[in-house]
Amino acid sequence: MLKDITLGQFFPGNSILHRLDPRIKLILAVVYIVMIFLAKGVTAYALVVLFTVFLVAVSKIPVRTILKSLKPLLIVLIITALINIFWNGGTTPLFTIWKITVYKEGVIRAAAMALRIILLMAGTSVLLTYTTSPIALTDAIERLLSPLRAIKVPVHEFAMMMTIALRFIPTLIEETEKIMNAQKARGADFESGNLIKKAKSLIPVLIPLFISSFRRAEELATAMECRCYRGGKGRTRMTVLHLKAHDFLFTLFVCFTVAGIVLLNIYLPVYTI
Amino acid sequence: MNAAELRGVSYIYSENTPFRKVAVNDIDITFEEKIITGIIGHTGSGKSTVSQLLNGLLKPTSGTVSVEGKDIWEEPKKIRQVRFTVGLVFQYPEYQLFEETVYKDIAFGPKNMGLDESEIDRRVRTAAELVGLTPDFFEKSPFDLSGGQKRRVAIAGVMAMRPRILILDEPAAGLDPRGRDEILSRIVEYQKKTDSTVLMISHSMEDMAAYCDKILVMNEAKPFLYGTPAEIFGQAEVLERVGLSVPQVTKLMRELRRRGYDVRTDIYTVEQAKAEVERLVGGDAAC
Amino acid sequence: MAETIIRTENLSFAYEEEGNRIPVIENLNLEIEKGSFVAVLGHNGSGKSTLAKLINLILTPTGGTLSLFGEKVDEKEMSDDALYALRQRIGMVFQNPDNQLVATVVEEDVAFGPENLGIPPAEIRKRVDDALDIVGMRAFAKHSPHQLSGGQKQRVAIAGIIALRPDVIIFDEATAMLDPRGRADILATIEKLNREFGTTVIHITHYMEEAIRAGRVIVIDDGKIVLDGTPREVFSAVDTVKAAGLDVPQVTELMLEIRKDGFDFPADALTFSEGADAVEAYILKTRNKKEHS
Repeated sequence: MLKDITLGQFFPGNSILHRLDPRIKLILAVVYIVMIFLAKGVTAYALVVLFTVFLVAVSKIPVRTILKSLKPLLIVLIITALINIFWNGGTTPLFTIWKITVYKEGVIRAAAMALRIILLMAGTSVLLTYTTSPIALTDAIERLLSPLRAIKVPVHEFAMMMTIALRFIPTLIEETEKIMNAQKARGADFESGNLIKKAKSLIPVLIPLFISSFRRAEELATAMECRCYRGGKGRTRMTVLHLKAHDFLFTLFVCFTVAGIVLLNIYLPVYTI
Repeated sequence: MNAAELRGVSYIYSENTPFRKVAVNDIDITFEEKIITGIIGHTGSGKSTVSQLLNGLLKPTSGTVSVEGKDIWEEPKKIRQVRFTVGLVFQYPEYQLFEETVYKDIAFGPKNMGLDESEIDRRVRTAAELVGLTPDFFEKSPFDLSGGQKRRVAIAGVMAMRPRILILDEPAAGLDPRGRDEILSRIVEYQKKTDSTVLMISHSMEDMAAYCDKILVMNEAKPFLYGTPAEIFGQAEVLERVGLSVPQVTKLMRELRRRGYDVRTDIYTVEQAKAEVERLVGGDAAC
Repeated sequence: MAETIIRTENLSFAYEEEGNRIPVIENLNLEIEKGSFVAVLGHNGSGKSTLAKLINLILTPTGGTLSLFGEKVDEKEMSDDALYALRQRIGMVFQNPDNQLVATVVEEDVAFGPENLGIPPAEIRKRVDDALDIVGMRAFAKHSPHQLSGGQKQRVAIAGIIALRPDVIIFDEATAMLDPRGRADILATIEKLNREFGTTVIHITHYMEEAIRAGRVIVIDDGKIVLDGTPREVFSAVDTVKAAGLDVPQVTELMLEIRKDGFDFPADALTFSEGADAVEAYILKTRNKKEHS
């Protein structure tokens, strides 16, 4: 059934990455991205790879799952690599195909770029989406951005909208399935015909879906009002996030890694790009 | 001939995933033609799955589903034809209405069948009449109608396809007693007028007792009991064992029997109960 | 006598449609006592849900007065804070369980109400745990609502209201979309709240089987109260109940039918065992008579 599809690919678990404060994870994900772009040579890259492998290992997410998630990236990877191989000039020509000369620098650069994309995807998904529930993520964004409320940014409202969206996605998917079946039972045909005909055949599904969504929204608004909701003003939360020892330790560890990359960039630059 | 048959049918949702769930398990069911069969059971007993298997919305994981003696999956490309033979009205069908007018909405099914204008018109009018909608409803928007009226438009939309088997999943859900009686008696009338086969899924034993010719009780992905209302309600203790209720008058009769009075216990309507109690206390109306 | 916590005097509500005034509730007078379990019965469109929304201050009456907890409510004069304070004391559970749950985790949803009240976190935690215990859903605290059955979702919705610690809970057709098991669970929860915690319950429904379990039944038709009394009193008025588009218990109807044939049967039997008692008593009576003559 459609509704069984897990959202945001969150894998429930109890690893150290799962237990990290979502705010820390969010910040560290940004640091991690910086880290990738900071790395200049093979040595520094090796450290980033090591760090990523470490993340995957402690997260206890099966490597296979992560590789699978990289599959849709394959085309992007190939195109990036090809562009870098053929369009990069250099000083050490390796070989020439037709009129294009491939340089050693180009190959290195292509490899580095591909690696960068792989690391970016694998690292951030292990750090964030695989180990953090969407709701914790929303919560973390709300709390991190809360200082912006001072300049009238509706942070709470934004987070509330996200939460409600996450809550209703499975409900709406289920409903879509139901309406499609009901229209199929009336002989509707969603499979055959060209694109325009297919799009048109969805009208009997979309209209009831819109109408029911509006009805749901209205009912939900009333129910929220009855539960004394009046925006973010004066609201408290049940779960208060407290930074724990492991949050500090992990942050410290990331800081050392960043320092390591900077040092390697300066003192051990091999094949830098 | 039988209207439809399931032979050795199993259906498993989300096979090969952690959410795997056996909806029906190796079942054999025969639905008799030209009567109203009620299907009753708890949520998750497999009754809704059976209805979707019968009109080809679900393909059995194993076993054969045949309608009017023909395996419906013999030619998978022609499965849409099966849906015209076996009409299915889902629970809360009013949520599937989408056209600007009642007329157009009822005509949606017949149009999909590729019928010509005059035939569509004939069918829409007959179907509307069957559910008690007068022609002055035709140009109204279905969204301006009351809940009960919307429900009738939706049911007419399936009746207009003139299915030889009509399946209704909880046609009275959420309606008040007046709306419920109206819809259910319309369905009985439809069955008589069209001489077709009707299968009705319901949670209400009282409704089943009052409106169905035969009752199929489903329990834990299997058919559990099958028979006339009298045969089914005569086995009240078996029904209660699986957590299904029996009509109140059936309970009354069983209680009288328990207290040592010689009464029939296969009684399920007020009229039957009245006759039986009056027989018991003696015809001589106590002045 | 118990304290009256809800009182309406000539309460009316009407809306305008294409220039016509369409009355929904007309001059309704009603008093509800603290700690009572009142069932409001009526067919769809009888005005019963409108009444609930008036009491919970979602709708503003177009006529008459409403007093809550001994004080007259005047929404125009009322501050927002006062309005929310009253809403918190009168909780409401709606028909569709899906459309009243806000969060993706059961316990987060139950916490939603107390969070809105600005209660300290530790106190919220306690209220959430207590509320989930009362409705028997503690084991599902970390589940996502969409993994639950309709009845379970509705219990979570009730927990969300209980966590606000209201004096009154209005169930606005909260059982209409549920299967028999779900309905039985909700009714058991309602009775528990009323008996063990003294919560005043107003249960709006069109199922007479549910109304029988209340202490008092009010039948509404066309925005007016047509019957008001104990279930026994109300359902023995078989014709009035049926005229309002509702059912009576089969046994009550059976007794009435038999009475019509000239037998002296009681008019107010509600349950099957009361019915059996009535039949037995009649048989013994006629037997005695025969012996005497």
